[in-house]
Amino acid sequence: MVEVLSQTSDQSAEFETQDLLLNVGPQHPSTHGVFRMVMTVDGEVVRDVIPYIGYLHRGAEKLCETMDFRQGIGFMDRTEYLAAFNAELSYVMAVEALADLEVPERAQWIRMILCELNRLSSHFMFLGAFGVDTGVFGTPFIYAWREREALIDLFEEVSGDRMMYAYFRPGGIAWDVPVNFVDRVREVLISATQGIDDFDSLLSENEIFLARTQGIGSISAERAIALGMSGPSLRASGVDMDIRRDEPYLKYDQVEWDVITGEHGDVFDRYYCRVMEMRESIKIINQCLEHLAPGPILPEKMPRMLRTPPGEVYLRTEAPRGEYGVYMVSRGGNRPYRCKVRSSCLSNLQALHELTVGEYMADAIVILGSIDIVLSEVDR
Amino acid sequence: MTTEPVEEQFTNQIGDHDDIWSIVDNALLGIGVNRETGFMDVIVSIETDEIVQASRALRDDEDANFDYLRSLTAVDNMGDGMEVVYHLYSTTKKHNVTVKVFLSNESLRLPTVTDVWPAANWLEREVAEMFGIKFSGHPDPRNLLMPEEIDDTFPLRKDHPLAEIEVLQGEGMGYSGEEL
Amino acid sequence: MEERGFTMAITPADPAAVPTESPVIAPEIIPVLPALPTEHPSEAPLLIPAQYVPGKALYKQILPGIIQAPLDLLLGASRKSSLWPMTFGLACCAIEMIATYMAHYDLDRFGIVPWPSPRQSDVMIVAGTVTKKMAPSVKLLYEQMPGPKWVISMGACATNGGPYTRYDRVLQGVDKIVPVDVYVPGCPPRPEALIDSFIALQELIMEERKVQGK
Repeated sequence: MVEVLSQTSDQSAEFETQDLLLNVGPQHPSTHGVFRMVMTVDGEVVRDVIPYIGYLHRGAEKLCETMDFRQGIGFMDRTEYLAAFNAELSYVMAVEALADLEVPERAQWIRMILCELNRLSSHFMFLGAFGVDTGVFGTPFIYAWREREALIDLFEEVSGDRMMYAYFRPGGIAWDVPVNFVDRVREVLISATQGIDDFDSLLSENEIFLARTQGIGSISAERAIALGMSGPSLRASGVDMDIRRDEPYLKYDQVEWDVITGEHGDVFDRYYCRVMEMRESIKIINQCLEHLAPGPILPEKMPRMLRTPPGEVYLRTEAPRGEYGVYMVSRGGNRPYRCKVRSSCLSNLQALHELTVGEYMADAIVILGSIDIVLSEVDR
Repeated sequence: MTTEPVEEQFTNQIGDHDDIWSIVDNALLGIGVNRETGFMDVIVSIETDEIVQASRALRDDEDANFDYLRSLTAVDNMGDGMEVVYHLYSTTKKHNVTVKVFLSNESLRLPTVTDVWPAANWLEREVAEMFGIKFSGHPDPRNLLMPEEIDDTFPLRKDHPLAEIEVLQGEGMGYSGEEL
Repeated sequence: MEERGFTMAITPADPAAVPTESPVIAPEIIPVLPALPTEHPSEAPLLIPAQYVPGKALYKQILPGIIQAPLDLLLGASRKSSLWPMTFGLACCAIEMIATYMAHYDLDRFGIVPWPSPRQSDVMIVAGTVTKKMAPSVKLLYEQMPGPKWVISMGACATNGGPYTRYDRVLQGVDKIVPVDVYVPGCPPRPEALIDSFIALQELIMEERKVQGK
């Protein structure tokens, strides 16, 4: 579809060009899921981009209202399937806040370890898919999945499933971890460290990768805050905001790590913030493993049918993609009255228009990859 | 609601409620009624036509400085109307507040806060299509998650039913399945 | 040999006993055809007339690299051994589909190469929930694929709506809009289950090989 939107180009008065409306998606090899954008392109430069979402709107929020508190955990898994532990954590902590449940120490440390390991596996997926977006087809993707398989094997030993864990429960965790958990985690960390170093040496100093990612798609800190971005996409613009440090939950105030911020807010900064964050996650996990001690995993007086008194809570945690919040309203009873999922990817995706206008068409895909969206969280 | 051990887990997230009350009071200069304390955040209720002015005051005031709109959503209270809930955060002062606007079922309209926080753009579009609340002055009031043609069904309302299962497993195979 | 640092596994007892050239075995010639004329005398041993064994096709003796089989068997075998799926991951099942393509559970060894374009792919793996907003695109992509084509419905959501079946924006199963050949249960199915579904599809292709196209 061709529409006449600009009669003259900048270069010469007698040379008339027409802008082209280009439809990308919803099925496209480089969009991360069913996402559609309509770009208005002048030559190769993007003049306007309109994202269309909702192709995966499955109604997790409405269905959670009909489900028990424990049945809803499965929906949260599927909302953010690459970082399922973090998604479950927000929901389960919201229920605990409403129901006054005290989580034992061992369960909190195990939750922390699993959430940080999930951050590692989610960022590995980002590195692989981002490498494919920039054109390094094959090698980073397969490296990423090699590392992910090691982590997923560990998750399968702990929870029984490769991807949809449903392992956290209000009050703690469903069952205790296997006997060799600490040794297995240390093994996995060795291979993960090696994997991060592989990616770093493959991509971060590669001349072509730098040329494709530096200086592209930058956003200023004020604009990023105004648009509600969060997570590594926000920290790459220089904003020092991390819920794990500013509003600590679990045991994040008892471990030490650095919050990584970038300078320019461009695509390379968003990528490199995630690489550095993975190293910080490994530091956190190592400290957690030292604190892990035997103990109970659920509170002693655990009711069989969990009922919460009326109330509401907005509980936010730092998922790999940003702030994943659950706003839960309860009117008594054993199911939530309203369970709203504050999706990090939806807010990050709002910035796509600003990031992409003025860049080349090929860079639009790279910018979309650097925001790192998971469509089922955008659409819920 | 305030058991000792649970609060300890969340102390760092709650902040000091009295401080936040006074800051918000100073910022709002008399706008707003019905302050209460939720479990983690201070909740302020504001009238429909004062929401934009209150938002601007909350964002621009030096002590309050709520420059980050965390979340914008709505709750359907069935017969009692609907409420639109804003969760605000200050990146510089690191405190939170929750703002609510109560709407009655007859007049589901309120002005947009997109000029104050651009983050509200897509969030208000989603609330509009899910609940049927109209945000006046919104720059782009199209459907976000639903198909563009549909403008009369609002899925997240409480009176919107769940879909019936159209094919029972084993239908037509000689097994008389039960109605689910 | 020892100076190079390695030794022969079998040492001949007498170096002189090792034959230096292979023995020449003269083929037994049953002259059926007259001796073929040659221009150069050194070609003469190469032009050996064929030995005709009654009951066996002559062309199989002259050109032993030929296979003779029914056409539908050959077409079926070649179609099943080189299935190119269109990458159509919609939701969480896409992650398990990608895991099956990757090195750990390799699908390339079956000849299965993910191909982005519908115009050159054979199989459409519907991996994930199909919403009513996405359904027209699914139907369009199915119609853009040239025959013969098959559809694998991967996961509970594509089979009958899955955990989201009670929401009215979700299509309760992709078989409402495209004909499905193999259903894979699971949420998400393990990579081994997806490999099993491809093997089932291969058996299906061989069973239905006499049916002309689709």
